[in-house]
Amino acid sequence: MNLKVNRQDYQVEDTPDRLLLWVLRDELGLTGTKFGCGIGICGSCTVHLDGSPTRACITMLSAANNMEVRTIEGLAETDSAGEPVLHPVQKAFLDEQVPQCSWCMSGQMMTAVALLEQNPNPNADEIRQAMNSVYCRCGTYYRIRKAVERAAQLKAVEQ
Amino acid sequence: MTENMNEPVKPRKRRRLSRRDFLIVLGVGAAGFYAGVRLGTPYLRLRLVDFLEESGGPPSNIDAPPDAWFEILINNTVNLYLPKSEMGQGVHTGLAQIAAEELDVDLDQMQVFHAPTTRLVDPVGTSASNTISSLFTPLREVAATLRELMRAEAASQLNVLPQDLVLEAGVFSVSSNPDQQRKYGELFQSLDQWELPENPPALKDPSQYRQIGQPLPRVDLPAKIVGKAVYGFDVRIPGMLYGAVARPETIEGKLVNASPGQAASLPGVVKVVTEDDFAGVVAKSREEAYRALASLQLEWDPGKLWQQEEIEAMVTVGQGRGVVIQREGNVNQNLNNGTLVEAEYRTPMAFHAYMEPMAAVADVGPDKVEIWASTQAANRLRGAVAEAIQRLQDEIVVHPVYLGGGFGRKIDELAAVEAARLSQTAGQPVQVAMSRPEDFNTGFLRPPTHSILRASLDENGMILAIEHEASSGEVAFPFLPSIMGTVMGADFGSYRGANVYYAVPNKQTTAWLAKLPVSTGWWRGLGLMPNTFAVESFIDELANSANLDPLEFRLRHLPDDETGQRTRNALQIAAEEVNWGASLPEGHAHGIAMSYDYGTIIVEIAEVSVENDQIRVHKVTAVADPGLVINPDNVIAQTQGAITMGLSASLLEEVQIRDGAFQATNFNQYPLLRNADAPDIKVVVLNSRNSPTGMGEPPIGPIPAAVANAVFVATGQRLRRLPLKFD
Repeated sequence: MNLKVNRQDYQVEDTPDRLLLWVLRDELGLTGTKFGCGIGICGSCTVHLDGSPTRACITMLSAANNMEVRTIEGLAETDSAGEPVLHPVQKAFLDEQVPQCSWCMSGQMMTAVALLEQNPNPNADEIRQAMNSVYCRCGTYYRIRKAVERAAQLKAVEQ
Repeated sequence: MTENMNEPVKPRKRRRLSRRDFLIVLGVGAAGFYAGVRLGTPYLRLRLVDFLEESGGPPSNIDAPPDAWFEILINNTVNLYLPKSEMGQGVHTGLAQIAAEELDVDLDQMQVFHAPTTRLVDPVGTSASNTISSLFTPLREVAATLRELMRAEAASQLNVLPQDLVLEAGVFSVSSNPDQQRKYGELFQSLDQWELPENPPALKDPSQYRQIGQPLPRVDLPAKIVGKAVYGFDVRIPGMLYGAVARPETIEGKLVNASPGQAASLPGVVKVVTEDDFAGVVAKSREEAYRALASLQLEWDPGKLWQQEEIEAMVTVGQGRGVVIQREGNVNQNLNNGTLVEAEYRTPMAFHAYMEPMAAVADVGPDKVEIWASTQAANRLRGAVAEAIQRLQDEIVVHPVYLGGGFGRKIDELAAVEAARLSQTAGQPVQVAMSRPEDFNTGFLRPPTHSILRASLDENGMILAIEHEASSGEVAFPFLPSIMGTVMGADFGSYRGANVYYAVPNKQTTAWLAKLPVSTGWWRGLGLMPNTFAVESFIDELANSANLDPLEFRLRHLPDDETGQRTRNALQIAAEEVNWGASLPEGHAHGIAMSYDYGTIIVEIAEVSVENDQIRVHKVTAVADPGLVINPDNVIAQTQGAITMGLSASLLEEVQIRDGAFQATNFNQYPLLRNADAPDIKVVVLNSRNSPTGMGEPPIGPIPAAVANAVFVATGQRLRRLPLKFD
């Protein structure tokens, strides 16, 4: 089948029970999307399917058919000089020095991007609730909330 | 500043080195150690306790010249190779700041890498919060030595005296003629005769620091933020296959019979391994490997089917071996004078639950074995692989890569050993990357603990005598040569934090140690959090018995020394931050707790409410005094992180054993604290000395007691068991 990831087309074999996560990581080499639990709880594997945050570890490959998959590798844009331009969420996570081990951070940032695309100006409680779905064992939750607030401001300035 | 896992191992030129050692010696601890040999074992044990409390555990002996640590490229980029693992705690940034200070360069001129074991070997590993404290002086000495070697080389090339050179951003220029320059990059290449000085150059005075003490951004984040940083789970080597290994369901389970069944004929399967004690599959994809694993025919001996109650009974004061680790005055004589207070506390077993399960890649070739792993202890891992596949250590190169969290458990070398066994059989590189249930059910846990505390209070509300009996499963002993256990008697990992810090004329601490059927070991802070939960809860209970404010009660019992002064300062600053004693929103209460751990002072105040028996932590305020601060923002980050992890342990986490197996196999049965329940955390950082202590673990110590103490104020109920809940 054709799998569209970060605006690129890939031809992949869709045998039954193939999970999107392992196709992304092991076949396409997009290891920025992480494995954490395999049962859709921890959120480390969060990617976007047509803009919706989705757990790649419990998503069948076939479910991504005709959908746009977006991963952490597809967040930054490239400027005319070929230099990466960070997404406001990435920039905010960097500015707030959020990540520690960073294993969960792709999932955190993909969740934050989806939140801000649906709700560009979330209040503190909406941020808490949206970011509640992704575990962080290093304990960066407070900084995550500050970074999402900052990302919303950065996005507002950009527009 | 990315981690390049394919960094070539540069053949080291043979250089003429005068035999200057960069050893970190035992220092003050050594004197006590040798005195102890003469004065007998109990004395030696008490001195060892003192030494470990001050220093943060055994030091790293790293004997290597500057060109093992540094490589300077012709464009003046400084590559720094570190024998310590970056698992999220920020040590690559802190160490880069320390090195940059003496090299006089900025961090954006540096690239930081994990050193492969061919370059640098740290015999101890990355643990015990001692990375920064143990390398602070040696790394500055190495950097300063390299700087002065390059200065001498520049002077010789420019035909001036070394003191006529001015150094800025890695460029020497002649002071009287600034156009005459030599860059570090050029000088480093031309240095093939290295004459190391007998003594290191003088190091900068703290007043001169430009890098140390600055809240510089972390060097590992640019790669991490775009998903490009490489962890053990992410390593991809040409020709790499995927391994899956059979694992028992019970803690004592052993493989007694294995046959391949249909596995070898399944799609993608390259090799099926069935040995006496080991069965696994190598396949072209992870999915194929795990599918084939399920079709192996395996027979297990489950061993004894242990129950939780049996484990708890073993970890009980009075069971196993007890060793006195602290003794001042005479506790027995004085416990019966005054008002006697007694309480006991328990903490459960816990998983590390880092987000990246154990993972490693092994490439076992005829002449060379290469391992890439998320490891806290590359040296230990190398030894374990050598033994498992019967190869010489010198043939094995370990490339440590980023860890998706470690918290002590990634001292474990299992994934690498299994990958090596499978690679040896398959003749190709193999990755073993565990699923979450495999990770939870393989390896060691935080041990359960039990504490009994007794104290007597005099008529003024002062503690006359205090006794702590602390029982725990093993922490350090399973990882040490057994002779160490014989000499030490008590496991320094288990009793960390057990000693009573406060100034009390009569005090005694006894460490009881239980060897359990379940593997237990290092977990962030080791015994610190369980023991601090017991001691700091009990101190609060004493304050309540004495009818004194818990802050005031602590202030009255501080030692009259430098540490006592630092603690007083930290307590008072924390109290001011929260306006201690002023009224809080309806139903909210403050609880306070502190710890003095490996030289670091931490005070934490939790603001808590309880509704429908649900504990909510609204805010935590912390004061951290790690002596000299290398990177204040990272001290804040470590404090926030450790408090949040400690809250998860305080409120939610518990592993129980039923019928010989862990009751939890994944996060559905072992939930962690989530964002909406994690409080805002304000941290005040104090800079009180000229040398740094540790920050990775100490802030996890006080948080359970701070919360339990606040719960007591809010409800009148004293919770003496983790996780904290109302029955």
